[in-house]
Order: sequence, then structure tokens, then C-alpha cells
Amino acid sequence: METVIEVRNLVKRYGDLMAVNGIDLDVQAGEVYSILGPNGAGKTTSVEIMECLRRKTSGEVRVLGHDIERGQKEIKKRIGVLPQSFNAFDYLTVKENIEYFGGLFDKRIPTDELIDAVQLQDKRDVWFINLSGGLKQRVGVAIAMVNDPDLVFLDEPTTGLDPKARREVWEVIRNLKSRNKTVILTTHYMEEAEVLSDHVAIMDEGRFIAMGTTRQIIDQHGSGSTCIVKGANDAAVAALRSAGMICEANDGDLLVRIEDKGSLPKIVGFLSSPEVTYDEVLIKGSSLEDVFLKLTGRKLAEAEQ
Amino acid sequence: MRPKHVLVDLKGQARSFFRIKSNIFWVFAFPLLLIVIFGAIFSNMGSEMVTLNVQDLDEGPGSQQLLAAINGTGMVKIRFISPLADLEQHIKDNSLAHVMVVPANYSANLASNITAPVELRLDETVSTSGTVFNAVNGVVNAVNLQMAGGEQRVTIEVGSIVQKRFTFLDFFVPGIIGLTVMTTCVFNVQGTISRFRANGIFRKLATTPMTPFEWLLSRILWHLFISFLTLAVIMGFGVLLYGMNMSVNLPVVLMIVAGSAMFSALGMIVARFVKNEETASMAANAITFPMMFLSGTFFQLEMMPSYLQQVAAVLPLTYMSQGLRDAMVYDNLAGAYFNLAVVAAIAVVFVIAAVLITKWEEG
Repeated sequence: METVIEVRNLVKRYGDLMAVNGIDLDVQAGEVYSILGPNGAGKTTSVEIMECLRRKTSGEVRVLGHDIERGQKEIKKRIGVLPQSFNAFDYLTVKENIEYFGGLFDKRIPTDELIDAVQLQDKRDVWFINLSGGLKQRVGVAIAMVNDPDLVFLDEPTTGLDPKARREVWEVIRNLKSRNKTVILTTHYMEEAEVLSDHVAIMDEGRFIAMGTTRQIIDQHGSGSTCIVKGANDAAVAALRSAGMICEANDGDLLVRIEDKGSLPKIVGFLSSPEVTYDEVLIKGSSLEDVFLKLTGRKLAEAEQ
Repeated sequence: MRPKHVLVDLKGQARSFFRIKSNIFWVFAFPLLLIVIFGAIFSNMGSEMVTLNVQDLDEGPGSQQLLAAINGTGMVKIRFISPLADLEQHIKDNSLAHVMVVPANYSANLASNITAPVELRLDETVSTSGTVFNAVNGVVNAVNLQMAGGEQRVTIEVGSIVQKRFTFLDFFVPGIIGLTVMTTCVFNVQGTISRFRANGIFRKLATTPMTPFEWLLSRILWHLFISFLTLAVIMGFGVLLYGMNMSVNLPVVLMIVAGSAMFSALGMIVARFVKNEETASMAANAITFPMMFLSGTFFQLEMMPSYLQQVAAVLPLTYMSQGLRDAMVYDNLAGAYFNLAVVAAIAVVFVIAAVLITKWEEG
């Protein structure tokens, strides 16, 4: 399989601040690769270096077989970019904006085809300024696709969108994958990375702290599944702890680690005792959020603060 | 450089520019309002201290006494023209509005009790001509009263400097055209750059094959087009409503080209050195406001104190407005091309600086 991005020991400094601290990355053709992390982790700086928007301090970066400094011209012809906080020309319509950017490339997809792809047929003659946030992002994706790129960078495409708009953008990203485009997605939404990606790199303070498929990362760094007992009484806590189960109280819930296959029947057995009462029992697997918490000691929301 | 990229951006600007109502106001309605308002205010003014250019061919005691008396009125100050100068050429080259010639035999005629005429040549369409005439006439009457008990010994022969018949607005409008070119180019360009930088459009453009030079060229060409449109609208307005009489010739066209490039580049330079849109707007105001009032748009330069005239001499708009006046009103081609050369030289420097410092990519 063709490697479309190769990054080796990439460093970006701003004075004393180390924004990107020696990362390595390999992205294969046709995959959706998410770079996940809190604001300020270095995601955008890293991808903007790959997009030829920022200069690196040191390291090697090759995109589509070209060095990013010597091969900028060739790279720009073959990539599509949805920058963070994307904006287009306010007083041009959806169609005119797509035509504008299409006119800057030799190879281009017909405007109507792009409008169909992002399902903006009924907004084609609406000024960009009059679109909602979600619709603007869809225009951004259409513009990122205008030159039929081999590699598409989507930098936080759903930040600031409501859940409905976010899911609309997800559909557009799935559509890109179905067209065999390689997609680099940066996000600080764990769920987004889990749902859309073939591979994920979790970034914090300028470094990748975990990489692989979502499953690999969770298997390697996750804490297994957890049984959540809602409204458990003291007898339930005492019974589980006396049996050596790892329990943790959290906002009135009792969280019991499921260590292995035999743990779950035991937990159910204890919960069946007549003195134990509870409202509800849920089983929850490890998530990337749990991995981030485990690896950094912080929740993602805390890291953003 | 790929012309296709420039054309794409020009097409985008053409589509969006006129959809923004404020653009139409500032580019077309505002200058017309200025013409109506300031034209009404300034067309009848005339009590300021103004310069009277004097060629004293006599240089005798009589002429010195007369000129000292005129100077002493406090209404005019005298600037001497060499007796050897070709007066017609000097008037044309310097776009003079008030000139007095004292003939060679003035003192001798006075001594011989013969009528001694002085020639006063005024541009009667300039508001200060009345002031000059009153000052000279007052002194001449006093001299006649003193020397001959009121008999007309010294006389004034009034002539006109301007060949064609112009109104005050004919002189005012070139300044308004220069002013509008300046404000349109500086504010639009700095506003666009600041906005595109803040809202990420530059970041998006930087990922395309378009280069910053192609983008800047497109912006300059667009503002050149807008400047010519402004020229056409203002002149059309003036001709239809005020019956103005103006020439549009090669130096006018070249001055609009050079001025548009100069002020567009100035807008780019302003935008480069400020952080955000609000600050950029303030910086543009700080640069254009002094030029608006000190470059001879609303007030004739010679009405201003000498230290302000020195300030005006370093302001680019001064040369643009004066050049347009020379070309459109005075038929002073030498003056027009001199001012054009100054504006073109500044434009070259500004454009080179703008191209060198305008970047899309960040550190």
C-alpha cells in the first residue's frame, strides 16, 4: 500500500514553546487517519506543516512522495484542505465559491457534482454569509474536494457545530472514504475519531502518546470493561469489596472493573443477594477518553483548560 | 505568474464587490456628496492671506513702495518672479492663480506724472482672487490719493490667467477624484487583507496553487478599475449637474493608474503591520486623514501656513491631486508629468515593499 505521508522526528518551536516535539507518522493511501487531542496539543500545527502552511523547525516530512519544502507546488496541486475555522467569500454564492477555488486548479471536479456530493443542491445560489455553521463546513469540504485531491486534510471540521450538523459532516467524510480518498482528520472529539477513523494518533503537549487502530489503542492502553451499578446501597459496596472486586464510587454510581470473563457472573451473583439493592446495571467498554485519562492523568476537557 | 489565477480572483471580486452596499456608498455616493457640500461651502470664500506672484520689471523706488504697501495689507504675501523669467511659461509650469506685473517704466512714469498701469492677472475661478484684487486695488487707491489727490495715476489692468472658462468645482473635483482613489484603495485593500487573515481565507488560499503576487496583482487591477469607474461617475455627475468642463488625457489616465497602484500598495503595507481588522482600520484612518485635509483637496495649499505646506510636500496625495489639476484643469502638462513622475516613483517603491512583505503562510 502506498504511503502518502511520512513524518520523521518533526519539531516545531515558537521561541521557548515546543509546539510539536519530535513526532513520527505514516499514513497509507485510502485510510482515514485521525489526530486526536485537546486544543493546544499541536494537532493543527502538525497538519499545517504537512499542508505547506507553516515551516518546520526540524525533521523530515514527505507528502505524496514530495518533500514539503522542495515540492510545495506539486503537493498543493494534489491536496485538498479544510482549514480550521473555515471561511469562504461571504458575498459569493455556494456555487460561485466552489467555482472560484476550482478555477485555481488545472484538474477539477464539476461544480454541480461537488454540490451533489455535499448535498447542498437547494443552497447553491445562497450567499456564503447566509449559511449555517454546518452548511459552511459542507461548502468547505466541497472546496477541499474541488481538485479531486489524493489527500484531504480536515482540520477540526465539526468544532462548534450542533450534534445534527456534526453528523451531517460525518456523512460527508464517510463519502470521501468511499471515494478512496486519504483523509487526515484532526479533532478533539473522541467519539468522532472512534466512529470515522481507520487509525488514530492521540496527541498531547506536542507528542503522540498513543497510535494505532482504535481497537489496538484501547486494547493496549484501556482499562477493560466496567460494570456501572446505579443507586447501589452500602451492602452492595461491602459485598463487592469483600470479594476483592475493584470498586470506585462516582456521583452515586458504583463502578466495578471487569477484570476477566469470570468477573461478570460473579458481580451478577453478588448483586442477586437479597440484602443488595440497586436501580440499574450497565456494562461499558473502555473508550479513547479512558485511554487519554489513563495516559495523561487528565480528562480531555481538563486538558483543554 | 499565471494570468488565469488573476482572472479568477478578478471575477470573484467583480461578483462580490457590488453586493456590499457600503462599497457603493463609499466609492460613488460619498465623493458626490463631498462635491455637493464642499462645493457649496467653498465656492464663495475669499478673505484669506494668499500669495501674489509679482514680476517687477521696474525695480525702481515707485514699484518697491507699491509692493511694500501691498505686502503691508496683511491680506496677501508677495512672492517674486525673476524679471528674466518667461512669464507665460512660468504661470503654466507653476499653475499660478494670482500674478502682478509691474512694467519697466513704472517709477519713471510716476515721476513724470504719467499714468502708470500695473497688470494684475487673476484666475477668477479661484476663490482667493477676490482677496488679491481687493488688496491691490486698496493700495492703488491709497497711492493715487496720496500722490495725486485721488486722480487715477496708478491704474490696474486686470487680465485672466485661465484660457478656458472654469467654475470652482472644476478645480475642486480633481482633488475629490484623488481623495476617492486614496480612500477606496487604502481602506478596501487593508480591510480585505485584515479580514481574510482573520477569518482564515488566506490560510485556505495558501493551500492552492495561487501565489500571493497573483492575488496582490488582481487586487491592484481591481482597484484600478474601480478608480476609473469613480472618475467616470464623478465627471459624469459634474458635467450633467454642474456643466463642468474638464479634460481627460493621457496624464490623467496614467495618474489614475499610478495613484491606484500606490494607494493599493499602501493599504497592503498598513495591513501587514497591524494585528487585527479594527487596528488596521484605525491605522488606515491615521494615514489617510492628514492627507485628506493637508494635500490640497479641500483647501488650496497656499492658504495653509508654511509649515503645513512643508508637511503637504511629503504627502503622496498632494502630488496626485495637483497632477490631476494640472492635467484636467490648467493644461499644464509639464506640471502634470512632474507630479506623475513623483506618484509613479512612490508607487513602484510601495508595490515592491507590499509584494515583499505580504505573506499567506505563517512562521
